[in-house]
Amino acid sequence: MTGTVLAALAAQAAPLLACALILIFLRGRPRVAAGTAIAALTVSFAAAAFLVWQVAVPNTASVSQTLWLPVQGGAGLAFGVILDPLAVTMALVVAAITLAVMVYSTGYMRGDPGFARYFGFLALFGWAMLGLVLASNLLQLLVFWELVGLASFLLIGFWFEREAPAAAARKAFLMTRVGDVGFLLGVLLLIRALGVATIPDVLAAATSSAPGFTVPLVAFLLLMGVVGKSAQGPLFTWLPDAMEGPTPVSALLHSATMVAAGVFLVARLHPLFAAAPGVMQGLLWLALVTALASATMAMVANDIKRVLAYSSISQLSYMLMALAAGSVAAGFFHLTTHAGFKALLFLSSGIFIHHAHSNDMREIAGHEPLSQKAGVIGLVAGSLALAGVIPFAGYFSKEMVLGAMGERVGGVVLALAYLGAGLTAYYTFRMVFLTLRGQTPRRQEARDIAPAAHVAGHEEHFSAAAHAAMAWPVLALAALTLVLGYLGGFFATRLSPALPHEGPFHVGGGALVALALVAAGIALAWYEFGRAGALRLGFAERVPALKSFFGDNWYLDRLYKATVIRWTLALSRAAKWNDHTVLDGASDGVAQGTVWGGRILSMVQNGFVQAYVAVAISVVAALGIWLTRTGGLP
Amino acid sequence: MSPALYLGFATLLFGVGLYGLLQRRSLVAMLISLELMLAAVSVNVVALTTLTGHDASMGQVVALILVGVAAAETAIGLSLFVAIHRASHSIDVETLSELKG
Repeated sequence: MTGTVLAALAAQAAPLLACALILIFLRGRPRVAAGTAIAALTVSFAAAAFLVWQVAVPNTASVSQTLWLPVQGGAGLAFGVILDPLAVTMALVVAAITLAVMVYSTGYMRGDPGFARYFGFLALFGWAMLGLVLASNLLQLLVFWELVGLASFLLIGFWFEREAPAAAARKAFLMTRVGDVGFLLGVLLLIRALGVATIPDVLAAATSSAPGFTVPLVAFLLLMGVVGKSAQGPLFTWLPDAMEGPTPVSALLHSATMVAAGVFLVARLHPLFAAAPGVMQGLLWLALVTALASATMAMVANDIKRVLAYSSISQLSYMLMALAAGSVAAGFFHLTTHAGFKALLFLSSGIFIHHAHSNDMREIAGHEPLSQKAGVIGLVAGSLALAGVIPFAGYFSKEMVLGAMGERVGGVVLALAYLGAGLTAYYTFRMVFLTLRGQTPRRQEARDIAPAAHVAGHEEHFSAAAHAAMAWPVLALAALTLVLGYLGGFFATRLSPALPHEGPFHVGGGALVALALVAAGIALAWYEFGRAGALRLGFAERVPALKSFFGDNWYLDRLYKATVIRWTLALSRAAKWNDHTVLDGASDGVAQGTVWGGRILSMVQNGFVQAYVAVAISVVAALGIWLTRTGGLP
Repeated sequence: MSPALYLGFATLLFGVGLYGLLQRRSLVAMLISLELMLAAVSVNVVALTTLTGHDASMGQVVALILVGVAAAETAIGLSLFVAIHRASHSIDVETLSELKG
């Protein structure tokens, strides 16, 4: 076993071990639990960094597997690790963000009664996500895919004693499940059609032999899982609700890593998807619509975490658009930079939420200003990166995405993608100005559809240590937003060597258009929210119909409530009636019959000894007569 | 003597015993009736050993054993009745119906 394989195994084993230790032994010892989890993720981070140095930098690819379930006449089921630039880079991203979020959480979650449990769940997530990333086999990937969903469920519903997080956790689990059914079917169909499950073999078989009908169907089914996990298209509504979880969880799972698992899967199996151009075209349009729709929702949301959630959906759509346009490098590059700056944005918004005890941007603005500047620095740096302002990371990756789309798709799609970039800048800086340029009297009429602002369900004291634990990860990630953007060439040469790449400083016509749109978006946000005496009311918020349409997830939740949920409830009621009336009735009937039968038969036991004698003698007499008649026993 | 006379007598004795067993409510009367039924059996045994050509003394021995058994049974029954009477101050079977289901 080589060093790289050992490192890959260590990266997965450490969080699993930490999770087991914390959940079994350390529930009552929060400080030890946090230390264990952070130590485990440090090991994973070091291992992942070693892997990047050994695998991604020299650009090698290998698969190490061990046969777990031999199958007669087939390749059997082998589990192992895949070590190529895509996997190890993603592993490093996951380990780094998880580590940063864990350090941050020691401050943010201080004093919470579930502190140790929280770190146990984070370690569980770290294990599942690293397992997903490094899985060499589609079934193995599926197992970790579901484990990631479990971790998401547990962490969204972390404050399960309140109604809203519990409902959000259920919703997230059920809605991703809708997609996962397709994913499961896709994997099974793929294995049935090709007879192999190891990822490189699958890709080779799917692209070379081209079994016609199967590939588009499999691609479509797998994309259902992607759509659910990455909160795209019709299945996105779980992600805004998932913001009921603790803010560091939103940073880690619901923006940076877990929701990016869908994008990662498309990148992982890109040759397979590329063999189904029709499905990819559908994905492109779906992602485009999702990007624009979620941008409009972000424009009217007043909950800072919901704004960030909508922007995560929108940015995931950009990644998928790049992949659908054929550029793995652009999509994955955007995934990496997005993981950095969106985690940064969530963590800095967490500092504000922690300070103001509210998610509502107007309440945060009305609160006394932060004495500590890390939150402000993080929010501004992250927003500049998200909006795509040069020289922050988001600019380079978004340019690469738009550039890749400009080469492969043209016209309307590209124009709309540029429009989305402008909208991104607008809603991002609306958030910045609403949060930071406060001190205006609160507007009562704007509060009608504000999401229920909840304070973090824990009473903790602001200590210097807690502040430091929250500030350092934020500052580190803020520094990263200035660095990550220059890695475009690294991704391009390793993930899409066939596509042209002009280097990070190439500024073409497209980039200028994008920058102009971003500037226009920021200027509009400044005019509406930032300048002194601004109305602090966006153009979309002034139209009541648009405001309620955008603010209510484009009425998708209402549609689901009126259709699928209603049908399901009707079916449940029918099943309940069947259970309570038919099935329970049958068993109750048997029981009642037995009771009544017993009552009737017990009348025979009247307690009169003479009656028993009479019966006994009658029986003997009858027997005697019968025996005499028939001439004895046969 | 015709065999019908012996057997008829035994049947009559058995019937009287049965009637008493079923009709009387006193345990002592029921025990007496039971003795009558047992005596009917003894009569049958003695009569049938003679009538079927067996050694007559055989039936007589059995009859004597039956008398002994009846005496023992009476002794056990009466002592039970005394115990029952001590417990419930009655030997009327109509009141002794605790085993009613």
